[in-house]
Amino acid sequence: MGLMAMAKDIYDRTRIVKPSTRPLRVYAFDPGAGRFVGNEMVATVPYEKLEPGPVGARFAVVDYDYEQKVYYKAVDLDHPWIVMRRGLDPTEGDPRFHQQMVYAVACETLQRFEVALGRRLHWFDFEYAERDGSKPPARAAVTKKDGAEEPQAEKPNRLLLFPHAMADANAFYSRAARGILFGYFRASETDPGRNLPGQTVYTCLSHDIIAHETTHAILDGMRHYFTEPTNIDVPAFHEAFADLAALFSHFSHKEVLLDTLAKTGGRLYDATLSAEASAGSDKKKDGDAGDGKDAAQIQSEIAAINPLVQLAQQFGEASGMQRGLRQMLGTRPNSNDINVLVEPHDRGAILVAAVFDAYFTIYSRRTADLFRIYRDGGGQANPVDLPEALASRLAKEASRTAEEFFSICARAIDYCPPVDIEFGDFLRAVVTAHADFYPADPDGVRAAFVEAFRLRGILPKGASSLTESSLCWPQVADNALPPVVGLQFGDPNGLTRKEKDDNGRILRAYAADHAAKLGFDPRRGAIKAPSFHPIFRIGPHGDLITDMVVELVQTEIVTDDAGTGPYPFRSGVTLLIWQEFLHNGKRADPKIHYVIQKLRTAARQQRQSEHFAAMPRTGRRDEHRHRPGDDGAIDEKKVAAAWQIDFGVMHLGV
Amino acid sequence: MAARKTAKKKTVPKKKKKAVKKKAVRKTAKKAVKKTKKKAAPRRKPPQPAPGGAVPAGGNPAGLRIRMYRVGFGDFFLMTVPTDNGPRHILIDCGVHAKDTHSIKAAVEHMAQETGKKLALIIVTHRHADHVTGFAKCKELFGEFEVERVWLSWYENPKDGKAMALQANIAAAATQIHQSLSARSDPQSEPYRNMVANITDALSAAGGSQNPEAMAVLKGFPGNPIRYYKAGDAPDLPDDLVAAGFAAQILGPPSDASLLSKTDKAAQEYLAGFSLTATDGGAIFPKGFSVKPERYKSPVFEILPREEIEARIAAAQPDQLAVGASIANNQINNQSLVTLFTFNGKTLLFAGDAQWGNWANFMFGGVDSATLKAESKAILGNLDFYKVGHHGSTNATPKDALAAMKDGCVAMCSTAIDAYPGVPRDPLIAGINSKTRNQLARSDQVAAGDQEIDPRAGKALAKIFDAVTIENAAGKCGYIDYVI
Repeated sequence: MGLMAMAKDIYDRTRIVKPSTRPLRVYAFDPGAGRFVGNEMVATVPYEKLEPGPVGARFAVVDYDYEQKVYYKAVDLDHPWIVMRRGLDPTEGDPRFHQQMVYAVACETLQRFEVALGRRLHWFDFEYAERDGSKPPARAAVTKKDGAEEPQAEKPNRLLLFPHAMADANAFYSRAARGILFGYFRASETDPGRNLPGQTVYTCLSHDIIAHETTHAILDGMRHYFTEPTNIDVPAFHEAFADLAALFSHFSHKEVLLDTLAKTGGRLYDATLSAEASAGSDKKKDGDAGDGKDAAQIQSEIAAINPLVQLAQQFGEASGMQRGLRQMLGTRPNSNDINVLVEPHDRGAILVAAVFDAYFTIYSRRTADLFRIYRDGGGQANPVDLPEALASRLAKEASRTAEEFFSICARAIDYCPPVDIEFGDFLRAVVTAHADFYPADPDGVRAAFVEAFRLRGILPKGASSLTESSLCWPQVADNALPPVVGLQFGDPNGLTRKEKDDNGRILRAYAADHAAKLGFDPRRGAIKAPSFHPIFRIGPHGDLITDMVVELVQTEIVTDDAGTGPYPFRSGVTLLIWQEFLHNGKRADPKIHYVIQKLRTAARQQRQSEHFAAMPRTGRRDEHRHRPGDDGAIDEKKVAAAWQIDFGVMHLGV
Repeated sequence: MAARKTAKKKTVPKKKKKAVKKKAVRKTAKKAVKKTKKKAAPRRKPPQPAPGGAVPAGGNPAGLRIRMYRVGFGDFFLMTVPTDNGPRHILIDCGVHAKDTHSIKAAVEHMAQETGKKLALIIVTHRHADHVTGFAKCKELFGEFEVERVWLSWYENPKDGKAMALQANIAAAATQIHQSLSARSDPQSEPYRNMVANITDALSAAGGSQNPEAMAVLKGFPGNPIRYYKAGDAPDLPDDLVAAGFAAQILGPPSDASLLSKTDKAAQEYLAGFSLTATDGGAIFPKGFSVKPERYKSPVFEILPREEIEARIAAAQPDQLAVGASIANNQINNQSLVTLFTFNGKTLLFAGDAQWGNWANFMFGGVDSATLKAESKAILGNLDFYKVGHHGSTNATPKDALAAMKDGCVAMCSTAIDAYPGVPRDPLIAGINSKTRNQLARSDQVAAGDQEIDPRAGKALAKIFDAVTIENAAGKCGYIDYVI
């Protein structure tokens, strides 16, 4: 350049393209699985510049050890020597690897959700909530080096990750701590499973536990009121959803998937799910340690060696349980569990089992032809060794279907009512969302969901039958509700501050004007719009469809006389608002096409009051502080805070 | 039975119909009784000859008496049923734990005198110290008793391996939690220490051995009187009581085996959790990795100061021991034997300390349904007497159940203020008072042992109750009577 006086080259031919991802090594499961296939993997997380911690835009690792009252040296993932080797080598002995792994798996989990939902997600707004919901104080503009003034950027709302927060067999998400606390503990001296007796076990090195806890935080960001245990399903749903996210991520790990396929003869699922499969007890392999006499026994035995369908193996074994923290294939479908199981994890497992039943049904449906081709070509009916090509095709099908199922579950959240969720609502949300996204459904995914839920007694209360049309949330009739004039949809990268402010105002005004039509009782207080976000998807004809998901919530404080003390009683609707296509060069006003209601009824309030009154004491020593005095003045925020799921207690020892 | 009745009806001329019908019913009733005898208790001694039929069955003019002894935080109820053979007595629980008024010996002494050391039936609802210690403390005296029947919850059946394993697990966890909590001196831990002590003390009452002394007393009565029951069982009542028209129905504990295995799983996991010695305070990483708090840098501290973050981490930690204590405590409460008695057209409900899980089963038909079953509504709507569950704690008396109870029924509640967190729950007590039209008697409304009437216990007793305090060799015994 320079010697020849030519027109300036507008092309930059020398630039090195900024990487979109950062590779980081992590344990595929946990250190306890060290001697098994594929326990180390490389997580590819979105590239961002990191400060030591690591601290990025969405996550910040703060390595404070409450037990020892020290911090641990923070890893600098941008250090060239570390970048060079794709992060530090997996090890239990270096806290900096622990920081790297928590960061990597949390990022990976968030990424999976954002990909599935096609939009950027937000954490619960900790600062905003702590400020009593008031507006942030105006901030002084900052003067840049060149003298120009620009408004100070908003404070990043990061999720804090504390890899060694406490010496307890526990890990949990806490709004108050604005993040996730991971504990460490000594393995059982007598029953340590594959660990050394008395060895220190770190929950922050369990891929599943990190994914599970991060999912709690993600769900809390999407649905603020799912942490109010207004009925027995709410905490169970939070747990189930977190387990689903952790489990489906297993199927993205190709090496493990291939290994499991090889060891199960391609049957990732369990025999008792379908009749044709139950004939296959002669296919038992070495790994199948069960006596094989009882179907349930085989099932649990497969689960015990099948890493895909169990959670947090090291944690479970180290605490003397002799198995993973939770096994998803241990139960035969029955419709009674739903009536007797109350503990959130146990109850959540019913939902997880139902989703996995549907998943395996679709997996077998989609691979049946592969097996048929294989047999027609002279392959064994029940192969002991799968040909590599077949295994690889099966793996592709298994992981593609897993991704699809994860997306279905994630998208269904947008179609759930904003408060007081029940398992049946989730089924309706799944079916409706799926019908909207994939109207054709050639493999019968929706039918598989409905049948799996039915087998486990999960039946939606409002639906008149189990046909698809009656399970789908009803669509709003044309012109039954006026359009939401002025609503802005932004683009998939999010809404600007101004767009958000405008939308909030428009939605609150709309709710106030049309409260009765939406199903609210206008006399029972203001209706707020705790969240709204645009969703973008490609329709069946290749057109871009843009919706806005809006939560509208009305809160009453009930001062109850028989035992609960004051509590918030909320009614809410989820709106799906459709941005009309252009017509003759004009855009019509946005129309509401779903109003998914959880309204105020005497029965619902009665149920909630009953449930709150019966709620066992948490066992926290300071719990009396959580409950407002019976005669004291009523502070809505404090009242609401008294009725939050306590994940710290819920996850304890389980 | 119905068929026979109609057959008679047809053959009898209209005029005499009434009288004959009565006779017929009585006859069939007697036959039915004989049948039950043969079926349920073939090994028993032949029943005493019935006295010439002069007294109509169930028609004794004297009512049934319910007596609540004040012993502190604990249950001690004596029910006296008038029968053809004179009054027969039923003892329901005998124990005290926290807030001991030191009157249990005097009370047992008094009860021994009143009953002539003869009990038709002992019911022990569950194995908590506040329901069983009396048997251990007064084991010599109880050793002199004649007891026809002892009813226990099926969770106590030594032949049920799973139930026994569960009890052992809960006991082991409780012992461990108790040891750890004993090292604490803060007042907030006290109630939780009480909770686990309620389990461990019941195990080791008198002598600190792991042998459940109280259970040994109960199992020591001659004549093999022990029966184990679960919801839905037809209980075996002594003949005199049956002849007097006294009946009983077992409503809890639930018998769902999957529920038991779930409970057991939870107990095991908690047990496992507590056996983990956290880290013994030793460092987990070589010293070089540690950074002093003031030297650790993070951009996060600009948003939330370091000290604030540390304080929030500290506050977010759950108290593992307190949680464990609550769980172990609730598990045993939910093993409670729940009995519904009927006598002379009156119904009486004794729910032990049963909490939500147990109620859910017999009242609501499963935990998911929030509406009372029709039959539960019928039972509660006809209730004449209610022994308030779990000393007046909120989750032992569901609001729905209270609402469904008959207006103006009578209730008794053995309780003591400041013994347990949130017990008795004032709003619930107020709710019961309005439901019973102030016919609620609290055990702290009579003087006993070293305690006077607790002025905080509320208004004076309703006239239907008799509060008595008398002195005997063992001390001051106080009780409240109600005749239904």
